[in-house]
Amino acid sequence: MRWWVFIPVLALVLTMDAAFMPAFAIGGHVPQLWPLLLAFVALYASRGAALWAAMIVGVWLDAMHPALGLGAESPRAVTVFGPHVLACAAGAWCVLETRTWLYRRNVLTVAFSAFNCALLASLAFIAIAGIRAAYADSSPLWGGGSGGAALGSDLVDALYSAVIAILPAWGLQSTLTVWGFATAGPRFAGGSRMNRGND
Amino acid sequence: MPFVSSRRILVIALAGAALLSALPQSFQTPWSGTLATVLWAPLVPGASVLAWARDRVRAPAEPYQGLPEELRAARESRDQLQGELDAAQLRVGQLEGQLGELSGYRPADRAGWQPRLASVIERGAGRPAGLLGIDIGIAQGVGEGDPVVVGGNQIIGMVAAGGTENRSWVIPLDDRRCGRIDAIVLTEAPDGPSDASGGAGAKKADKGGRADKSDRGDKARNGARATVLVQLVPQGNRTLVGELESPADVKPGDTVLLSDATWRPAAQGMRIGVVESEGTLDANPLRRRITVRMESDPLRQSRVVVKVRVSGQGQGTRGTGAAK
Repeated sequence: MRWWVFIPVLALVLTMDAAFMPAFAIGGHVPQLWPLLLAFVALYASRGAALWAAMIVGVWLDAMHPALGLGAESPRAVTVFGPHVLACAAGAWCVLETRTWLYRRNVLTVAFSAFNCALLASLAFIAIAGIRAAYADSSPLWGGGSGGAALGSDLVDALYSAVIAILPAWGLQSTLTVWGFATAGPRFAGGSRMNRGND
Repeated sequence: MPFVSSRRILVIALAGAALLSALPQSFQTPWSGTLATVLWAPLVPGASVLAWARDRVRAPAEPYQGLPEELRAARESRDQLQGELDAAQLRVGQLEGQLGELSGYRPADRAGWQPRLASVIERGAGRPAGLLGIDIGIAQGVGEGDPVVVGGNQIIGMVAAGGTENRSWVIPLDDRRCGRIDAIVLTEAPDGPSDASGGAGAKKADKGGRADKSDRGDKARNGARATVLVQLVPQGNRTLVGELESPADVKPGDTVLLSDATWRPAAQGMRIGVVESEGTLDANPLRRRITVRMESDPLRQSRVVVKVRVSGQGQGTRGTGAAK
């Protein structure tokens, strides 16, 4: 995978998630694009590259979503690195495990994988946050309410994200050659893979 | 990249992430904020442009939208003055209660704040949800606990600690992590005074015509409203719930103002919202439950005003200040 393509696209996707996607919010549920990008990468990239990509996405997500801890006068916003990293790795792992029996060239497959990725990432995040809440955090990292409610809310978010992802998935599929994936399309012939220096 | 191919480095990185995930916040506090700022910095220009585009696609739910700018400014000024009046009336009530406790008396300090306009550059849409990122921070005098308002007197949240030079996080009022919030409900009392106990007003009315007339005159000047104390618990999705004694005469549509000693004085008297519904509690028929809906949706604001403290004018809270 060409990292010089992935990093700028990831920056654009996360910027859109933070600043633009709330325009499509319905009833407090906001679609996200990062599961789509991560699922797309995990569908085509090598196993190692997909997991590294997931960790980079996770670090950036951790940076963008501070947790709240106890402060002197008001709750303190503290960035906790780690939970999203593991959550994204879990989401990418889910796609890596399922990609062998999926028809990857279909945009619906990408959207479906984005749903799987978002859902498993959410499950992993809530599990980690639940464990942390037992000894380290004054309030769970997922915010208020029970973990089950948070998971239910994330399930709806994941569904909504998958529906919204269909159009951008088509756009990503059409740029497949730019990414230089190790396992993409007719270029996946052994001879053409040689000397590409990609992962 | 060669490191991508190394299985060992990948396992070490994942183990490091797991270790960081397990450590308490205090282990990351010294450096994680700086790293987050560095990671966020390259996204700021794009976020500003996309935020502008977002507001074009879906207009923010600002008060008095569509009115001419002058009229809108005038109405916001009116609301701000109304908020100040409400705050002053609250303060008078508190002082009356404190007259007998002069040793613990501290003079009012209502003027120790200045408004700072801020743009919402980020809205939390992951976990944790709901935090708002604004483009002013310590450099502009923003501090932890500063109240955040829109439309002059509608409070939507408070600034969380841990902001940076030019960036702060706002905890929406409907976020459970804001803790319990003491508030007062301004109830309409057209046929005589009523209060939380439901009895004091009735006793006053029995004392005679002159006192009753004087009392009614005062009530008329104050908008003929009685107050009911209530403690609200944020529920998310713009709602807060609270429990009341049954005699309290609260109706849907009544205004709810913040009156919490652990919040800054600049936040006192700001409007939280209106009573959306009220009903009896099945578990305790002597108490009733009210649902308060915030008038402004924190997640649909593009510009907010932070009431920052003015240096040199102490405006500390009277409570312990810790999140309840």
